[in-house]
Amino acid sequence: MQRTDAMVCPYPVGSASLRRMVIEAEELGFDSIVALTDEPAPQGDRVTVLKACLITEPSVKSMRAKAKRAFGSNDLVVVEAGDRAFNRAVVSYTGVHILRNLYRAPKGSFDHITARFAADNSTGIDINLYPIISYSGPGRQNVLQCYADIIRLHRKLGFPVTISTGAKSVCGMRSVRSIKLICELFGMTGDEVDFALGGVRRILEPEMPVRVVP
Amino acid sequence: MKRRPPTLRDKKRYILASLVPCHDETGGKEVYNAVINSATSLYGDTGTAEMHPVVVFCEGGYAIIRCVRGTEKDCETAISLVNGICGKEAALRPVATSGTIMSLKSRMKDKKPVKTGLVDINGETFTSYHYPRQKVDLAIEKIKSQELLFLTEIDLEE
Repeated sequence: MQRTDAMVCPYPVGSASLRRMVIEAEELGFDSIVALTDEPAPQGDRVTVLKACLITEPSVKSMRAKAKRAFGSNDLVVVEAGDRAFNRAVVSYTGVHILRNLYRAPKGSFDHITARFAADNSTGIDINLYPIISYSGPGRQNVLQCYADIIRLHRKLGFPVTISTGAKSVCGMRSVRSIKLICELFGMTGDEVDFALGGVRRILEPEMPVRVVP
Repeated sequence: MKRRPPTLRDKKRYILASLVPCHDETGGKEVYNAVINSATSLYGDTGTAEMHPVVVFCEGGYAIIRCVRGTEKDCETAISLVNGICGKEAALRPVATSGTIMSLKSRMKDKKPVKTGLVDINGETFTSYHYPRQKVDLAIEKIKSQELLFLTEIDLEE
């Protein structure tokens, strides 16, 4: 079974090196991680490192320009969520793999139509566990509510979902066992978590109908 | 109040949690406060009272937390959400749940640092803790906080 942490931020953004995060990820039960780094991936480890480019542009035009440039040189192109129109443009654009941090976006920015577009284009929606771990009170409640809405739409429309810890250090990384428990807080079942942890691979290598190659 | 006979007592379960980073000598009281704060913020006073979490052991980078049987999943979730102990960056990772402390202690591995030393990085002197698998933790105490770096021996050589 493939299990990927869909976003970790090693040094210099975080306080742990990429090599150390790879060792920790292996001990925590992952077989690949998506890292926000320019460093080359360490060789000979059992954990695969996928390089990601995070785009935080507020306008569709600049987002498309950046995504076009990042597409070839990175394994994954991840875009920070914005308002409703922006999110629809992002999930409809084929150069983007994952839409991230929907909990920060304005209310109603991810509706059933955006979810349908995401399902049609196989664009992943990321569930970042960092706010659940680090926030408390109303902040955490809003995040749990937002993620419960996303899961409801995922069950109905079937767009890919990924799970990330957004860890900036070893202390922020969580094991597969812990992730299952945390995801239960907003109504995900164990099987759904297992499926979502393999979401990055399914986005990169989508299941296609069998074709006869001449 | 007089202690109830064994048949009338609540059944207990024990959770083994790993402390990260493990070089700090964290006491049971600090771990208890972190778990209670996390459980209260997540489940409220009523939920935490039902769970009744207590730290019964804290040594060698591990903590054993006791809770009422049937609430161990909630207790584990609360433990997973701990992101700091005594104002310092830390995490508790649930490892296993059992009905006896002895079986959990048999699952504990030696987490003591292989060697310690001092390392100079950008003019600052960090204390280094070397662990198996070439893991190195660097720590420096500042006026009001502690700065941590998690590296490997290859990173240090570079």
